[in-house]
Amino acid sequence: MSALEPVVSARKIVKSFGATRAVRGVSLDITPGAIVGLIGENGAGKSTLARVIAGVYPPDDGVVEIAGQIRHLHDPHDGLRAGVSLMAQEISLVPAATVEENVLLGSLPRRGPFLDRKAMRRRYRELAELTQFDLDPATPAARLRTADQQKVEIMRALSRDALLVVMDEPAAALTADEVEHLHHSIREMSRRGTAVLLISHFLEEVLELTSHVAVMRDGELVREGPTVDETVDSLVAAMVGRALATDYDERKEQATGPVRLQVRGLASTDVLRDVSFEVRQGEILGLAGLIGAGRSEIARCIFGADERSAGEVTVDGNAANASHPAEAIARGIFMVPESRREQGLIPAASITDNLTLSTLRKYSRGGWMDRRAMRASAARLAEEVDLRFDAVSQPVATLSGGNQQKVLFARARDVEPKVLIVDEPTRGVDIAAKRAIHARLTELAEQGVAVLFISSEIEEVLGVCSRVLVIHRGRVHGEFRAPYRQEDVIAALFGQSVSSR
Amino acid sequence: MIERLRSNGIVVVFGVLFLGLAVASPPFFSFANAANILDQSSILLIFAATTTVCIIVGVFDLSIASVATASAILTVTAVNLLGPVLGVVAGVGFGALLGMITGLAITATGVNSFIGTLAASFTYRGLGLILASGGLVSIADQPTAETLQQITEGTYLGLKGVIWIALAVVIVIEILLAFTIFGRMVYAVGGNRRAAFLGGIRTKRVLVACYTLSGLGAGLAGVLYVSQYGSGATNAYSDTFAFTAIAATVVGGVSIFGGSGAVWRGSLGILTFALIGNGLNLLGVDTTYQLTILGLMIFLAVAADQFFRRSERM
Repeated sequence: MSALEPVVSARKIVKSFGATRAVRGVSLDITPGAIVGLIGENGAGKSTLARVIAGVYPPDDGVVEIAGQIRHLHDPHDGLRAGVSLMAQEISLVPAATVEENVLLGSLPRRGPFLDRKAMRRRYRELAELTQFDLDPATPAARLRTADQQKVEIMRALSRDALLVVMDEPAAALTADEVEHLHHSIREMSRRGTAVLLISHFLEEVLELTSHVAVMRDGELVREGPTVDETVDSLVAAMVGRALATDYDERKEQATGPVRLQVRGLASTDVLRDVSFEVRQGEILGLAGLIGAGRSEIARCIFGADERSAGEVTVDGNAANASHPAEAIARGIFMVPESRREQGLIPAASITDNLTLSTLRKYSRGGWMDRRAMRASAARLAEEVDLRFDAVSQPVATLSGGNQQKVLFARARDVEPKVLIVDEPTRGVDIAAKRAIHARLTELAEQGVAVLFISSEIEEVLGVCSRVLVIHRGRVHGEFRAPYRQEDVIAALFGQSVSSR
Repeated sequence: MIERLRSNGIVVVFGVLFLGLAVASPPFFSFANAANILDQSSILLIFAATTTVCIIVGVFDLSIASVATASAILTVTAVNLLGPVLGVVAGVGFGALLGMITGLAITATGVNSFIGTLAASFTYRGLGLILASGGLVSIADQPTAETLQQITEGTYLGLKGVIWIALAVVIVIEILLAFTIFGRMVYAVGGNRRAAFLGGIRTKRVLVACYTLSGLGAGLAGVLYVSQYGSGATNAYSDTFAFTAIAATVVGGVSIFGGSGAVWRGSLGILTFALIGNGLNLLGVDTTYQLTILGLMIFLAVAADQFFRRSERM
C-alpha cells in the first residue's frame, strides 16, 4: 500500500458463528481516502469482516486499530464514535420519519431541547449537493422506492463525517444512472479524505472505482493489492480459486418452435401500456429494463398476482388469463418470484413442504396428504437440481442463498409448467450458483419450456438469452436479437430511440 | 438442543407439575380428580384447539367467546322452535356462519385480525343480547332439556360426555392439520402468506375457512352450554375464555409468528393451567395467587419463544 499511515487496520481478525469459522485471521490496512473493494463469493466472509471492522460483531481474536489506536468495539454505536460508519445490506430506516430526519438520525441538530429544523434542512442540502441525489427531504421514508431508500442510507452514512465508510452491496438495488451518482459520491468522499470499504458483486464496478482490492475466499484474504494490477479474469480466478471462463456461451440460435406464450395488449392501471410479445417453445426471452420500468409488473400480470386492466394471454393458443396465481399454474404458467425470502419460500417449513407447495393437489388422496409420495418427490427433485442438504425435513431457512434458489427451481420442476417466468433468479447468489441456474434454465428450454427471464444485470440477460425485449416506462421499447451490440441495448434501456436489429 | 427445549418445554413443565403434585398431595393422584380437571377444562380444550388453527394460519380470533354466547342463545330459541336435533344443528351452524362472516369481512378489507375480531366480538355479544331480548332464555320443554343434559353431563366409560366431545374435537382438528392437504395450506399461509399466494394457494379462502372453523368450535361450545345448563344467557362465556385459549396455545409452544405448532400443545397448555389451579387448591395455597402465577407463566413462555427465534436467526 502507499506510504500513508493506515486510518483503519484490521489485525488477524477471527470470527466464528457456532461451528462456522467465517473469518480466519484476516489482516487489512486501509489508508485515508482509499477506496478498497472487498470481493468474494457468497459465504467467503466479506460481510462478517466488514461488520467486525464497523463494530457490529466483536472479533473472537485479533484487533481493530482506528487512527493508530486499538479500539474494542462492541456495537455499531461504538464504531460510529470511533469513526467507522456502516451502510448495511438491509435497509434500516424509520418508515414514518421523513427523508431528512432519517438521513440525520442520531445526529439531529438541536437548539436547546428542540429540533433545529432550519439547521437540519441546511445540513441535508449539503449532503444532497454532495451526492446529487434528488429526493424530497420532507417525504416519509415509507413512501420511497427501495432504490430511493438506499440513497437515504448512503446519505446517512455520509452525514457522519466518518474516517471510514463501510458499504455492503450499495448498488444492488440501484439503476444504472443511480449507480453513477453513487460512484460520484464515493469518489467525492475519497477526495475529502474519507476511506471507503466497498463490498460488491459487480467486478466492473470494483475495477473502475476502487484504488485497492481485497479478495476473500473461505474466510481468508487470498489476494490484496492495487486495483490497476487486476482484471476481471484475475479477480474471478482469485475468488473461485481456479480460472473460469467468464464468457457466456456464444452459440445462440433463434428458437423456431411454435409459439407457447402469447401476450397481447397487456396493461395495468398504474404501469403497463399495451405490452405485446410472444415466447416460443424452447426459447429464453430476456426482459431488460431499469428498475421501475415494468418488467416485474409484466411477469406478475401474466401470473395473475397483479390485476391487469386489459390484454390477453394465451398458452399454446388457449386462453390463459389468470386473476390468481392458482389459475396461472393450472394453465401451465409458473413464476419464480424476485425475492426468495419474502415472496418465494416459507422459511420455517421443511424442504419437502416448500417443494410441494404449488403441487399440493398432486399429493391429495381425497383431501388426505400422501406424505410418502411428497417425501419421495422431494428427494427426487432435490437431487435433480443438485440441492445440498442434510434431510428433506430440514427447514429451508438453514440453506444457503443459492440452495434456497434451487428449492424454488425444484418446485417449478414439480409443477412441470409450459411457461416459466423467472424474476431476478441470480440476485445475491455466488458465481457458481449463478452458472448452475443458467444451466438449469437452458435445460428447461431444451425440454420445450418457454422461459421469460428477468434480470437487472444486462450482461447476464444478453449472455443467457437469444432474444431480448427492452422495457421502458411500461412499454416494450425495443427488441434485440443475438449477436448484440451492447451499446444499442443500453441506449434503449434509457429510452433512446433505436432501430431494432 | 435449544430447539428441542423450546418445542418440548411445555411437556417438561406439565410433567414436573404433575409429578410434584402427585407426590405432594395424595388426593391429586386419583381418577376422580383427573376426571374433575378434564371436566373443568373441556370447553377450553375446544377453544384452544380452534385458536391453535388460527394462530398457525397467522391470525387471532378474539370473538370466539361472543360467538359461543350468541350461539347458546340461538340454540335455545331453535330448540324451542324446531326440536332438539335441528336446534343443535342450527346452534353449531350459527357459530360457523358468524365465523365465516368475520373471515370474509376481514379478508375483504384487509383489517388486522386482532382489531377485526375484537370488533366482531362486541358485535356478536350485542347480537346475543338482541336475540335474548336482554335476558336469560331457557328450554321450554323439560324432557328435552333433560335429554340434552344427558349428552354432556351423563357418564360414559367413567368420563362425562362433554369430556369425550372435547377430546374428539381436539383429535379431529389435530388430524385435519397434520394429515390433510387443507392442513398443509394452513401451515403454508401462516409460514409466509405472500409466498403461499405466489405459490398458487388461495390464501383468502384458507383464512376464511380457519375463521369458519373457529366459529364452528365456538358454536359447539354454545350448544354444550345449553346442554349443560338448559338455558342460554348473555353472560354464558366471558371473553376471558378467548384470552385463556390464546394464552394456553402460546404457553404450549405454538409460535405467535404463525406457520408452526400443533393442537396438542394448546391442550397441554390448558391442562397445565388447570393443574396449577387444581394443585394450588389442593395444597391449600390462597386462590388469589393463581392469576398472578398464570400471568407470569404466559409472559415467560412468550419471552422464551421470542428469545429462541432470535437466536435461530443469528
